[in-house]
Amino acid sequence: MRSEDARREILSAIRENLKPRGIAPGSAVGSTGSADPGPATEGPQSPRKSFRAARGSKERGDVVSSFTERLAADGAQCTVVRGEAEAAGALAGILSGAGARRVVGSDAPLVQRLLRPLRDRFEMAALDRLSRDDLFACDVGVTTAQWGIAETGTLVLESARERSRLLSLVPPIHVALLSTRCICESLGDGLAHVRQADSHAITFITGPSRTSDIELTLVVGVHGPQTVHVLLLEDL
Amino acid sequence: MSFDRDARAALADGQLRGALRHATTLFGERRRAAIAEVPDWEGARDRARAIKDETLLHLDRYLEQFAANAERAGAQVHWARDAAQACDIIAGIAARRGARTVVKSKSMATEEIRLNAALAARGIAPVETDLGEYIVQLAGEEPSHIVVPAIHKTKGQIAALFAEKLGMEPSDDVAKLAAAARQALRRRFAEADLGVSGVNFAVAETGTILILENEGNARLTTSLPRTHVALMGIEKVIPRFADLEVFLRLLPRSGTGQALTAYQSLLTGTKRHPADEGPEEFHIVLLDNGRSRMLASPVTRQTLACIRCGACLNACPVYRQIGGHAYGSVYPGPIGAVLTPQLLGMGESAELPYASSLCGACRDVCPVKIDIPAVLLHLRAQAVARGGSTGTRALLERLAFASYAAVMARPRLFGWLMACARRLHIVPPLGAWTKWRDLRPLAPRSFRDEWRAGLRHEGGR
Amino acid sequence: MRVSLFVTCLADQLWPAAARGAVQVLRRMGCAVEFDERQTCCGQPAFNTGYRPEACALARRLIEIFESSDADAIVSPSGSCTAMLHHYEQLFEDPGWRARARAVAERTHELSAFLVNRLGVDDVGASFRGRLTWHDACHGLRDLKIKDEPRRLLRRVRGVELVELPPPGAETCCGFGGTFSVKYPEISVAILDEKVDAIDRAGVDAVVSGDASCLMQIGGRLSRRGSAVRALHLAEVLASTA
Repeated sequence: MRSEDARREILSAIRENLKPRGIAPGSAVGSTGSADPGPATEGPQSPRKSFRAARGSKERGDVVSSFTERLAADGAQCTVVRGEAEAAGALAGILSGAGARRVVGSDAPLVQRLLRPLRDRFEMAALDRLSRDDLFACDVGVTTAQWGIAETGTLVLESARERSRLLSLVPPIHVALLSTRCICESLGDGLAHVRQADSHAITFITGPSRTSDIELTLVVGVHGPQTVHVLLLEDL
Repeated sequence: MSFDRDARAALADGQLRGALRHATTLFGERRRAAIAEVPDWEGARDRARAIKDETLLHLDRYLEQFAANAERAGAQVHWARDAAQACDIIAGIAARRGARTVVKSKSMATEEIRLNAALAARGIAPVETDLGEYIVQLAGEEPSHIVVPAIHKTKGQIAALFAEKLGMEPSDDVAKLAAAARQALRRRFAEADLGVSGVNFAVAETGTILILENEGNARLTTSLPRTHVALMGIEKVIPRFADLEVFLRLLPRSGTGQALTAYQSLLTGTKRHPADEGPEEFHIVLLDNGRSRMLASPVTRQTLACIRCGACLNACPVYRQIGGHAYGSVYPGPIGAVLTPQLLGMGESAELPYASSLCGACRDVCPVKIDIPAVLLHLRAQAVARGGSTGTRALLERLAFASYAAVMARPRLFGWLMACARRLHIVPPLGAWTKWRDLRPLAPRSFRDEWRAGLRHEGGR
Repeated sequence: MRVSLFVTCLADQLWPAAARGAVQVLRRMGCAVEFDERQTCCGQPAFNTGYRPEACALARRLIEIFESSDADAIVSPSGSCTAMLHHYEQLFEDPGWRARARAVAERTHELSAFLVNRLGVDDVGASFRGRLTWHDACHGLRDLKIKDEPRRLLRRVRGVELVELPPPGAETCCGFGGTFSVKYPEISVAILDEKVDAIDRAGVDAVVSGDASCLMQIGGRLSRRGSAVRALHLAEVLASTA
């Protein structure tokens, strides 16, 4: 059977099965809403609004400290810096502290600027010239993050804005530069901010990679990075 | 299906029972702590259920909208009526793309359609990359839990397995075991030319699929290879991008007690520029395989609201004792007991709806408020009405209930029969009860005897 | 206040002390109690096993019986049977029967819920010496939301020391589940043993519940395991003036 035939059959089966059969209304225990709400143009009340209303709007400083607290709880490292000079120093410190040798930076101009002075101290690779094997041999991937979400300590990466998909995934250490201006409160805010139509891949990152598949014992650093370090840039 | 036999085998396995007790207790505690952080948990459940109900009532429209938007963004959307067709489609893509190394991230739907076997039959051996799935694949077993597939294995057993299959030095150190798997699988990721994933949610409004995970293997599976194939049940679609919020708030907390899993990948179509990172081809396979049938009644329709969090497994007193394998299918626990018979047909899985004490703990914890006991009762009524089961036990049961109904409609007959049983000390042959429990005898005088003998009078004894 | 007793077949034949106790407590609270001897079973075993036509027939019968009473309330010493009666509406397609079912359900209460929520009492003038623990029967707990009421009543019984059951806890199923207990006895008993282990650890004289079915299951295993712990129905404790 070809896919178009299957499509027609499946849609037809759906419509057929949804036709009312004179079943007693409410004969389903626990079904919510006995009336068909009709074709939906407006969905149920935006869940985001309710969550925000319940929690109350936060002051900027509160949002940032919520974010850093959640980051710590999720097992990510965080360093707050003011200005690019401080950021450069902090980055150098993170890289040496981690014993990194091969470092790859994304195509974000900020990343390129911060890594340039470190060229003589670390082996720098350029993403677009890396073979897959070389990428797997890198120690650190440096990217920016487009957004931070305070509710969960999450970094948001948009493929339309930066080539950060693999650098935030393959090397065992991921350093992410994020401006405090870009931290929003809730998951809903994060979803509203991303340029969904432009990005073929949007990634939410909350802490390092992990598993509890063996006897429910937590192991950090499975297929994704073992260490996530966020360099938080206060208003530049 | 041999639920009865497999359940008994599970009960005899002390190590399994200890692991299940530990896992379900721990997940339960973590879930409770995680949901306490959410200001209006009940409201979130209601909203999510309302979204699911709305979607299912117009599933055709939302699927068409999803497919159109996904295709507009560059994805290729395929429709599969059943498991065989889905396997053909995926195998066909693999062949056309010349895929030799295939990596897979966790997908219950791919297990449902037995994809690995279908691909193996065509000379392609996909590698499971989720650690738990990797372990069960190496062991040649089935997963036993939706979220932690290898929960039934001790680290000792896994160490022995890795020593045998990976040539690893046997070690009980869980971190070392995970590292060994990581190393073995990194090679596969580096070489993979096709990645197969599941889908947690599919957004109709934008053609986006969302994949949740903790390990990073789904990200690798969906970003490194040249081709990505995502398989999804047709019930995974939700209407709007913004709807993702409530599900992201409910699923991780319900399943593992996390506020969020480490990664969410929101994938919409193919790369916009050749230099972008990601596959050249992105295929989405929409799977029916019996789901459309479940739309027919409101009771069964709610089965399709499931977001595969696993909370019901962790709450279920039955699952806690016997684990996932006894359910004999991909989907274990309470949701499995209602989903499997509806996917496979009751003939195949007639025992499952009866493998429950109807306690309702699952309904309490389900993030989308599926009334699983109601579905179980519906399936039981169907089983009896169809009269499919033959065999002595089934016939005796029908006889018993026919007699029961006849007697209970006649109070004098009821009273007289009970009085006879009392006088003659008749004890029903309930070996299934008395093997483990003392059977309480009929009281020397029934209540109605006492009532007639004087209790009816005000203040009388 | 006139109350019609919904005795339940199980209490009637196997645990009359529960029904007797209910009558005594209700009378002590000033209710006049009637008992319609035509009642037998609410149909729950049939319904739970999938025998809907049989369950419907018994449901119609019981609805007619209670309709014929103009008592202010129908009270039952069983959470599961009360829940079954509340479920009757969904058994019928005919709107007439649905309305009749709804009307009877609105008047029907489980004993502890009736005492605490309708009569507004938690002290029923009872005394009972003993260290007790409570088991939440599933249907009463989850269908009828009965949780506080029995505990409030028991705490006011003079001489009672009430302790909460250790993990897996009072709210965990005892494993009865009707025919489940004999269709899958090994699983039923595995679930039950966790509960009985907890009862042992609680160091109590008795476990108390509002459903005779749970008490048969738990009591049957307690005695088989040689335990001195008794299984008592709530109504027995509340009726006690010892």
